Amino acid sequence: MAGNLRLETACKAGALAGRLSIALGRGRGETLSGRVILALDSKAISKLSSDRDILLVSGTNGKTTSTKNLATILREFAGEGVSTSESGANMPAGIAALLAQNPRNRFAVIECDEMYVPEMYRKLSPKVVVLLNLSRDQLHRTGEVRKVAALWHETFIKDDVTIVIDRDDPFLEYAVTNAGHVMRVSFSGRRHPDAATCPNCAAILDWSKGDYLCPCGLGSLFPDIRADKRLNGPQRNTVLVVEAARLMGAEISVTEADDLISSAPDRIHDFLVSGKKVPTHLAKNPESWRQALGDVTADQVLLSVNARGIDGRDTSWLWDIDYSNLIGKKVICTGERQLDIAYRLRVQGVEVSTASNFSQAVQSFPSGPIQAIVSYTAFQDLLATELGINKSGSQ
Amino acid sequence: MSLTIVRLYHDLLGTYGDQGNAEILVHRARARNLEVDLVEVTPGMAIPRSGDIYLLGGGEDGPQSAALEMIKVDGGLNYAAAGGATVLAICAGFQIIGESLPDSTGKTTSGLGLVDAHTAYDSSPRSVGELVIQPSRGGLPVLTGFENHQGLTRLGADMPPLGLVRSGIGNGFNNQEGVWHGNVFGSYMHGPVLARNPELADAVLQCAIGPMQAFEDPLAQAFAKERRITLGGITTSS
Repeated sequence: MAGNLRLETACKAGALAGRLSIALGRGRGETLSGRVILALDSKAISKLSSDRDILLVSGTNGKTTSTKNLATILREFAGEGVSTSESGANMPAGIAALLAQNPRNRFAVIECDEMYVPEMYRKLSPKVVVLLNLSRDQLHRTGEVRKVAALWHETFIKDDVTIVIDRDDPFLEYAVTNAGHVMRVSFSGRRHPDAATCPNCAAILDWSKGDYLCPCGLGSLFPDIRADKRLNGPQRNTVLVVEAARLMGAEISVTEADDLISSAPDRIHDFLVSGKKVPTHLAKNPESWRQALGDVTADQVLLSVNARGIDGRDTSWLWDIDYSNLIGKKVICTGERQLDIAYRLRVQGVEVSTASNFSQAVQSFPSGPIQAIVSYTAFQDLLATELGINKSGSQ
Repeated sequence: MSLTIVRLYHDLLGTYGDQGNAEILVHRARARNLEVDLVEVTPGMAIPRSGDIYLLGGGEDGPQSAALEMIKVDGGLNYAAAGGATVLAICAGFQIIGESLPDSTGKTTSGLGLVDAHTAYDSSPRSVGELVIQPSRGGLPVLTGFENHQGLTRLGADMPPLGLVRSGIGNGFNNQEGVWHGNVFGSYMHGPVLARNPELADAVLQCAIGPMQAFEDPLAQAFAKERRITLGGITTSS
């Protein structure tokens, strides 16, 4: 990196902007720092990633956790410095900032927003790409699943990059059709709720055997790895992460990885609200809601739904989810779109009431365990309150 | 009295939560002590010809073409509609019930022809956002929904729209949104539209079964009102 004055200046200015941002209580400073770097050197991402081993992680659900887990495994088993974003920053500015922070680290594990995969793939020249899953998310912004799959399909062309995928997801299988090296992991197949038709040829897919095999050939390639069918979403992601780490030379088993990765996933956080501990799931799209609902064991459930940009401005997807395991429980809805979720539950026969905010909802439950499922910005607001960050200053 | 509601290919036309429209109709019909049968039509199944209400939702381009092809080959929906069955078609479904629309490769193909409507893609950006419309008949109040579509739909001169656009894009021509022709409703509004507009749900039910007893659902009303007020469709006093 030495000898490149423009880049050095950009990184110094970026670091300063980042510190300033933190000092002003405006968050972690990554985004601002990265914006300054990219404004001063538009090629900063390519320059900062050359001569390094980059691993790129993308997908609809589990990006942040998988990125963190992959970085943890590499740190432990490769004994080399690993750069990664702790906060889930996954757009160009955040990526530039994290690369600039420790430019001497050999490894960088980069989480990437689905829409930025083509650009980041080009600029970062990763060694390994991990594609976790693709399902409906933020339709107003990213568009339909098929559009994202098509974008990726155009991106991964024959080269020496290895792409690790869950081949049971037909959108991922389609995305890597033209790729040079693919490591296919299979969990013995499972029906994909968004893949009634083939992403490649649009024929109706036959899911009657719990797996797909299109006459056009999609799904016909054998998996390289077969893993346990009973694993849930986060566990499947861990298997993919372990395979990616192995490609980089880490000798680790899934069991060792499980031990290394703390048992509580990042998407569940215990908030202390009005003196009560509330285990809270972050869920942001139909697939992550289904997983969160599957984990509900308490009889008192709090649901908080917002529809700000990152949550998805259209709440229609709440109707894609089956809430029948909430029937018979006491459910309170809150958040800016509390009526959207409350009415959806009412139509499914769940008894619901509403509360003006999270804390009031918690106080409305008599006693006993409470579990919460909240949308992205609602989770961020709870975190901000816990950290004492004033709401208008948080990102 | 019993009512048969037919939900068509919800795996293909269920990208935007429109399958909820069926659940809302079932919920509001059962509240009136009607016996309701909800029939799910999946690929390979024959479409019933004697249903009372047929529902089509929004979907992606490829699945939309696949659904259209199957409905054409089957013929059951056209048969039922010709006999006066009620149809509610949203977004991709709305495009399907018209005279023509682009197929998944962008080439113009014929639709089901239940309404005089022609859909085309043009270079304008995708229409995405909240939509507020003022219906002109049926005693319907301001309706709200969320639109997310590429195609724009031109209605024939004699085709009444579902309403006129107060904010948003809608059909993209003459300030019109959707269509309401006889017992056939089409709209670009997701939400699902019947969740956000209980009065429209009852209008659809009435087309199928005639006058019904009133059903007050305060939660449904509160939800509809909150959306209308937030989007400036009505003032707090109304």
